Amino acid sequence: MASKTHTALVAGNQWGRVEVFPSAVAAIAGHAAMGCYGITGMAARGLRDGVAELLRRESVDRGVEVVEVEGGLAIDIYVIVQYGIRITEVAHNLQETVSFEVERAVNVPVVEVNVNVQGVREERR
Amino acid sequence: MASNSPPGVDGPLFKRALLGSLSWLAANHEEANRLNVFPVPDGDTGTNMLLTLQSAVEDIKDSNAAEVSKIAKLASHGSLMGARGNSGVILSQIFRGFARAVEGKSSLTPRELAAAFEEAANAAYRAVNKPTEGTILTVAREAGRAATAAASEPDASVPSVIAAATQGARAAVLKTPSQLNILREAGVVDAGGFGLQIILEGMLKTVEEVDAMPDRPAAARPQAAQAALELPEGGWGYCTEFLIEGTKLDTEAIRNQIEALGNSVMVVGEPELVKVHVHTDDPTRVIALAGRYGKLLKLNVGDMSTQHRRILESEAAGAKPPRPNGVGLVAVVAGSGLVEIFQGLGVDVIVEGGQTMNPSTQDMLIAIESVPYDEVILLPNNRNVILAAKQVASLTKKKVHVLETHSVPEGVAAVVAFRPDRSGAANVAAMKDEAERVQTIEVTHAVRDTRSNGLRVKKGDVIGLINEKLEFAGRDYAEVVNKALGKLGPDSYELVTVYRGAGASEDELENLQTAIRSNFPGLEVEVQQGGQQHYPFILSVE
Repeated sequence: MASKTHTALVAGNQWGRVEVFPSAVAAIAGHAAMGCYGITGMAARGLRDGVAELLRRESVDRGVEVVEVEGGLAIDIYVIVQYGIRITEVAHNLQETVSFEVERAVNVPVVEVNVNVQGVREERR
Repeated sequence: MASNSPPGVDGPLFKRALLGSLSWLAANHEEANRLNVFPVPDGDTGTNMLLTLQSAVEDIKDSNAAEVSKIAKLASHGSLMGARGNSGVILSQIFRGFARAVEGKSSLTPRELAAAFEEAANAAYRAVNKPTEGTILTVAREAGRAATAAASEPDASVPSVIAAATQGARAAVLKTPSQLNILREAGVVDAGGFGLQIILEGMLKTVEEVDAMPDRPAAARPQAAQAALELPEGGWGYCTEFLIEGTKLDTEAIRNQIEALGNSVMVVGEPELVKVHVHTDDPTRVIALAGRYGKLLKLNVGDMSTQHRRILESEAAGAKPPRPNGVGLVAVVAGSGLVEIFQGLGVDVIVEGGQTMNPSTQDMLIAIESVPYDEVILLPNNRNVILAAKQVASLTKKKVHVLETHSVPEGVAAVVAFRPDRSGAANVAAMKDEAERVQTIEVTHAVRDTRSNGLRVKKGDVIGLINEKLEFAGRDYAEVVNKALGKLGPDSYELVTVYRGAGASEDELENLQTAIRSNFPGLEVEVQQGGQQHYPFILSVE
């Protein structure tokens, strides 16, 4: 499971309840991150034998942690970036894009997006 | 000096082309800013690309490398270090790909140049998992393809390849709304792609200049790239400044040549170092001309083109004698009539904006910088603008007083109290007093059902606000204004000035005037054509 908490975001209206689980938010964040410029892919949290593990597309949510905090969501994201690129700017854009996409999808404010760069890859092909 | 037809792209030519790109982007980046909608609507794509390109050029401007590979490598490094924002990062990858493609080459043939353009686009694509089409990536690729096609023509030349790349970019930019929904919905083209188009156009202008004017400035040369941008004719220009470092520079000769290209020309200095300042429609031409005399330093192209659109400079400003107190006035206001009123009262620069179209900090900064005084009083004339206005004060070296006017009537009252023979601080105090003395009644329609201030309002109702507070609702304008004036207590006031908005008809104005005159015979009524949006009537009571 990608998420620490298992409490879902709950919203109620006259027709019933809507629950969004952190794993769903993690998947949204992961896919948003995968589309960001300069991101090679998502990485599993922690290193395996000291090496960052590049996650396959189906399991990008394993590289995301979603925690509900006061005022909204805190998202930790683990990525591998492209070599030869300004990491601070890529990370900054990643933060903006993830928070924008998550807020748009679940309508809950994103309080912070913490980017963990787990590795750097030389370009593909 | 420069040969008639440069055989290839060498270091100096590439360097000059990038300088051309920089000046053209500096002049147009605001246009790109306005296009930004994706993915986060923040409107700084143009600025980010400009800062990235500036950083790239920063590294090359002191280099005299003859090889194109060295200049490209420096530009790649500089853009990487200074990359700002997503579009800046992508631009740095484009430079990186270009630099790799030209590695070890001292000069590029047209074919090699085209190949480098293509490789630049490929490199940019490689850094993303899911490339989005309809962005700067697409534009880079189409530019590369068009360049390659042109390079295989029998009479291919460096200018023809760059021209094709520019054309390819332009066509791709126009197609971006059909590729990206979010652009189509917003009715704009992609900002990053547009920025890249501008960069290529700047290059093209430079190589064409080098190509076309080896001996003297060709004043009557047609400006293809410029016309294609559909920029307005006349009335705008770029404040261009730089130093020329060289030997035995002839200030007189340089001035004569530059005067043919613009106005407000200043050329001063010594035989080794000359400072040039000019307002010109075509900074690249000036730079190309100056580049033939020596090394250009501290190049700075000020963005006056956007002021043409967003800032209506008081026409008389240039002709007016300078104020003895050295204090300028800038006001934020919208509506043709109100703009004229503020100009007529002596405001130096108007920034168009207001209730639903708040001007950016940048807009106000440009306005303040363009005022010919070091001390400026800024009138936001709307509560929503005050915060941005206060930020501007910290961004400029000029001394800025933000006079917190909340409405048009307060702004007018303040400006009337301004005296050119009184210091900035004394003026601010006096203007503030006047602004506080005046009462504002704003009349508009409710945009939704609401309850406010103990009042139930239905969508479409006429509502009256006294000093921004919702006080009355009713069926017609006259009724609401009557109530509002009654509440203020007509005995304490003498004059009502009615600013008629764009949404108010002749009859409605007539009714309103009649109602005020019959109900409050003690008040004098004056009517001004305000032309403001959203508020059919704004009344100033004093």
